[in-house]
Amino acid sequence: MNSVATSENPALGGMPDSPVPLPRGRRRTELAMLVFAVALVAFAYANVGFGLKGKLPPGMAEYMLGFIVLLAIAHLAVRKLAPWADPLLLPLAAALNGLGIVMIYRLQESGRNGNPGQVIATLSSSAATLQIVYTAIGIGCFVAVLALVREPRVLQRYTYTFGALGIILLALPALLPASISEVQGAKIQISLGGFTIQPEEFAKLALAISFAGYLVAKRDVLSLAGRRVLGIDLPRGRDLGPVLIVWGVSLLLLVFESDIGTSALFMGLFVAMLYIATQRTSWLLIGFALFIAGAYSASKLFSHVGERFQIWLHPFVGNNPFGNAYQLVQGLYGMASGGILGKGLGGGQPYLTPLVQSDFVITAFGEELGMTGLMAILLLYGLIVQRGLATSLAVKDPFSKILAGGLAFMLALQIFVIVGGVTRLIPLTGITTPFLSQGGSSLIASWMMIALLMRLSDTARRPPPQPIQDEGMTQVVNLS
Amino acid sequence: MNRAVRRISIAALVMFVLLLANVNYLQAFEAGSLSNKPGNSRAFTAQFQYQRGDITTSDGKVIAQSKSVGGIYKYQREYPLGPEYAPVTGFDALYGSSGIEAAENSYLTGDSSKLAVRNVIDMITNKTRKGATVQLTIDSNAQNAAWNALQATGKPGAVVALNPQTGAILAMASYPSYDPNQLAVLNGSESNAYDKKLLLESGNPLLNRATSATFPPGSTFKIVTSSAAFNQGNYNTQTLVSAPTSLQLPQSSVNLINNDGEQCGTLGNGKATIITAFTESCNTAFANIGMQLGSATLKSMAEKYGFNNPDLTIPLPVAQSNFPLEPAQSFTAMSAIGQKDDTVTPLQEAMFAATIANNGTLMRPYLVQQVQAADLSIVDQAAPTAMSQPVSAAVAGEIKNMMVSVVNSPDGTGYAFKNAIPGVQIAGKTGTAQNGVNNSGLNDAVFTSFASSGNRSMAVGVIIQGGGYGAAAAAPIAVQVLKAYLENG
Repeated sequence: MNSVATSENPALGGMPDSPVPLPRGRRRTELAMLVFAVALVAFAYANVGFGLKGKLPPGMAEYMLGFIVLLAIAHLAVRKLAPWADPLLLPLAAALNGLGIVMIYRLQESGRNGNPGQVIATLSSSAATLQIVYTAIGIGCFVAVLALVREPRVLQRYTYTFGALGIILLALPALLPASISEVQGAKIQISLGGFTIQPEEFAKLALAISFAGYLVAKRDVLSLAGRRVLGIDLPRGRDLGPVLIVWGVSLLLLVFESDIGTSALFMGLFVAMLYIATQRTSWLLIGFALFIAGAYSASKLFSHVGERFQIWLHPFVGNNPFGNAYQLVQGLYGMASGGILGKGLGGGQPYLTPLVQSDFVITAFGEELGMTGLMAILLLYGLIVQRGLATSLAVKDPFSKILAGGLAFMLALQIFVIVGGVTRLIPLTGITTPFLSQGGSSLIASWMMIALLMRLSDTARRPPPQPIQDEGMTQVVNLS
Repeated sequence: MNRAVRRISIAALVMFVLLLANVNYLQAFEAGSLSNKPGNSRAFTAQFQYQRGDITTSDGKVIAQSKSVGGIYKYQREYPLGPEYAPVTGFDALYGSSGIEAAENSYLTGDSSKLAVRNVIDMITNKTRKGATVQLTIDSNAQNAAWNALQATGKPGAVVALNPQTGAILAMASYPSYDPNQLAVLNGSESNAYDKKLLLESGNPLLNRATSATFPPGSTFKIVTSSAAFNQGNYNTQTLVSAPTSLQLPQSSVNLINNDGEQCGTLGNGKATIITAFTESCNTAFANIGMQLGSATLKSMAEKYGFNNPDLTIPLPVAQSNFPLEPAQSFTAMSAIGQKDDTVTPLQEAMFAATIANNGTLMRPYLVQQVQAADLSIVDQAAPTAMSQPVSAAVAGEIKNMMVSVVNSPDGTGYAFKNAIPGVQIAGKTGTAQNGVNNSGLNDAVFTSFASSGNRSMAVGVIIQGGGYGAAAAAPIAVQVLKAYLENG
């Protein structure tokens, strides 16, 4: 295994076989965990069948076989392309992706108001199949990222290209006519012939790479302290530029695309990366203060933003439960009816919550798997975040460190914003739940993010080139 | 840079801890209050998410079951025999429930604490939860005979049949009835519309006359008066009592006469034996006995038979049968022949005969034989218990002789039914109760009877509103029910 990987990568400091025992790549751990993830998904899938109809779901063997083949491809690609990568990331992503497919299948089968045959308005009758197709594309992109990005530093070269790409992707829906870009009052997608793409999902990755590259280049300047106020070293005024630009972009997003969640994500991503790069607490405080101020003024200036706050603070007041707060309240009712152990897959009524398959998918899990299952799912996300942060700690070069830390923190922030939103911890903003939500863009982008994290951890864990200790006998080389 | 990454990690940890804590708060602590919020349709529809248990007769006929319909409400209640069993099953609808559906709801839904352990096991094994099956004491042959006979009269009325030895209710029918299937539809406006229609219909079809309505017992109350008399020791079936053709009640303008002003018995001296007076149902004789015994004695005996009990449940709540203490002798006289303020449920009517058939011991009536969990284990089983002993076995024997005489003696009011069931001796007492203001209403026909054959015995009470003579309108129904039960033994 080791020899395969190293001899395949001669250009990247390829190493000859070494007699010194190397740290293990842990690919067998990954395989075992993948088997566990597949078993979990198969169990959940069977559970849905029994819960809804008292028998195994039709086509279960085919679905599971397809899922297994996809994961096998991913696993083999990792063995070949990133043999030192963290062994938990792929199984964690696989388990979440599989559970997401199961829940979409469950919602599709029970239909609108629980009537089989009456498809939920926003969910096609082939949503589960489509989600498997997206999974296949996602895993394809996962393999592609691993294959194309052999070294994280390669990405650093394209700092500004990725930056421009990210801005274009973000701005695209705002520039396009509402007829093909507006959904639920927010301009966040591009509809083309029945398929919709949410470019912001990909913009997140492009901008994360761009930020990391920019910060590595400028971190010395940004670290320079200006005046000291209240025990905090403030940066020099001229260095505030990049923060203000990102803040401005995220506010524009907020205003033109009505997408508070994504703007919070970008702000959080940038500030976290800035903090890792400069270690200046002042950047954290400034970024946080700017975002709060921006969000507050937006809530005062724009009715649709202010409304979110009202729904959050008073969901049960007056007509709110049947009006603006209907979706939030239905999600809360669903989670309440799930209680500690849940209704069991297929046993609850998650279809009563509007758009339960996308933004509110976590409440469907809360309803059917209960507090217990929901906490387990949150811990799955927590583990991905933890693996990402551990990678950031372990990796040597600053670009990789900033990128890994930023990606991991952005995932944590995304989970916090959407799960916190639907559980009324914070005001609700519509962003996707990575891997679980229905839809291709988020799923594919999430797989690409996992691929980046695995590439970074592969770099971090790869043993350094061994000094040649035994050159052995002179070898005969056949040149013909 | 690692210091910053560690701090970022702590921030991520804090976010996850907040989420986990909030999920705990929401699903463990706040779940109850969220479920009780008005307009929480999940909590409302929860009762229709699980398959309720079946309700069956003692011979296994399913009279209520849940069918899967899909939709917000997964299961809808179905009553294969509809109106026939409606007074028993009641209904389980969106806006409420009644009958056994209401009384045994915790077993039928599976919410009963006795089923809690099984529910947990079902949840762990992911078995679809199903409520427990409630098996009733109803005998489908007897019930069918009672329903058909009531329907044939076309008059409001009810039949209750008991197993005298146990108190098990073998039949309970009420007419007119309703179709519980139309109330159980999972469509609020349809269900409401049918409910409104029923409320406007004449005869109040939603009323279960068998247990929830009371009527004057008429001459069937003479069983109680006789019991009180024989219990005293001064009377027996052969005691001669004053039985004039007409009796001027004291301090009253009422001139009590026997039916059609006939003479009582054949002695011609204004006297008759108690058995003759009972057989021919002479009002004057029992009015006299009642006045001699006094209202308090009659009341005490009536209460032993089950009167004045507001708490009887079978488990359906049973309306109280009334026998108040009468202040005046004239009223006592009237109450001794089942008039004035006396009222009984058809169930009470059956309890008269059941007491005599069971040698003077009244068994507590019950409708639920056993409750069987979805895994077929028995969760609850009826244990017959004695409710009271109004009379000794010897007195019960004397009254039994009189009730046999009603049917066997050519002068008896029930002579028409002497050989109604070949080889079976029927014992009974007819009643024709005047009612309405100044007795302006049509007479209610009442009959209480019992018979046994082989190891089967049954006591039947029948009341037909406006039916006329008990022997003509009520007794034939009782005979049909007895026949259906005893001949299928």
